[in-house]
Amino acid sequence: MLDAFSRAVVAADASTSTVSDINALKAFVASGNRRLDAVNAIASNASCMVSDAVAGMICENQGLIQAGGNCYPNRRMAACLRDAEIILRYVTYALLAGDASVLDDRCLNGLKETYAALGVPTTSTVRAVQIMKAQAAAHIMDTPSEKFAGAKLRKMGSPVVEDRCASLVAEASSYFDRVIAALS
Amino acid sequence: MKSVVTTVIAAADAAGRFPSTSDLESVQGSIQRAAARLEAAEKLASNLDNVAREAYDACIKKYPYLNNAGEANSTDTFKAKCARDIKHYMRLIQYCLVVGGTGPLDEWGIAGQREVYRALGLPTAPYVEALSFARNRGCAPRDMSAQALTEYNALLDYAINSLS
Repeated sequence: MLDAFSRAVVAADASTSTVSDINALKAFVASGNRRLDAVNAIASNASCMVSDAVAGMICENQGLIQAGGNCYPNRRMAACLRDAEIILRYVTYALLAGDASVLDDRCLNGLKETYAALGVPTTSTVRAVQIMKAQAAAHIMDTPSEKFAGAKLRKMGSPVVEDRCASLVAEASSYFDRVIAALS
Repeated sequence: MKSVVTTVIAAADAAGRFPSTSDLESVQGSIQRAAARLEAAEKLASNLDNVAREAYDACIKKYPYLNNAGEANSTDTFKAKCARDIKHYMRLIQYCLVVGGTGPLDEWGIAGQREVYRALGLPTAPYVEALSFARNRGCAPRDMSAQALTEYNALLDYAINSLS
């Protein structure tokens, strides 16, 4: 498992040179608190994100919870919720480390083959991941939708910076895209 | 590669939970200390060749017998290899400064070090002398800030201990 720092070291070691791009790492350090806030925003809302993503996936495809569907009966629905949480958890780890290696090695490696063997529909899984991607962006920017959240609206209330952590939103989105690419 | 962040993630993963507040706090602690070690890494990288050369010269000066025929520093090829080895250690120390832990030294320097030097019949005392020279050569604030120098010296001590 690597993080942003060890990734730079491994890259430098490949050419037996010193780590020269220290400025990129300094930028990582300088925006460290933002990153921790982003991780905290996702971790604190994880169970809500997971259940909403799975519920949204099922809303769009009711066949999943009818007899013969992949989220029927409860046992398989529970497995689905568990898997969504696992995926979100590894994306959170990747965001904390600033590197996708933990996500690749421990979550995505062989996931597609496992799902194919178990008969889990890829399109539905991808849809749930897409919903989590949108939720993660909203939570990192701290702009959850009042229209959809209604009475459950919950803001992190962390100090808002000018660009609403655009670079972290892009980074988190890239990890979700990685999951989607690995599944399809 | 072991660092504060990867250790925290590995522990959280083993427990199957999201990063907790205390996890985030330990990462924050590591980030707050990062400025000093990145400064040291930057300064060391900009002057690595000279630092390694001085350390190499110092150890040959202390152990001139190495220049005798058949010894480790006798031919030009051997000399180049000795200088390269010192440079490797300094480079690994720079990596450790970047990562914020001893992972690179442990994995790429110390693991198997004893066996290699024994198999090649190399003495470790000159390495210790070279690294000790570098250890005592650094000066704050001439070379880097005091905090950065502390981080740098700690890693040199770590490398010296591994060879002693």
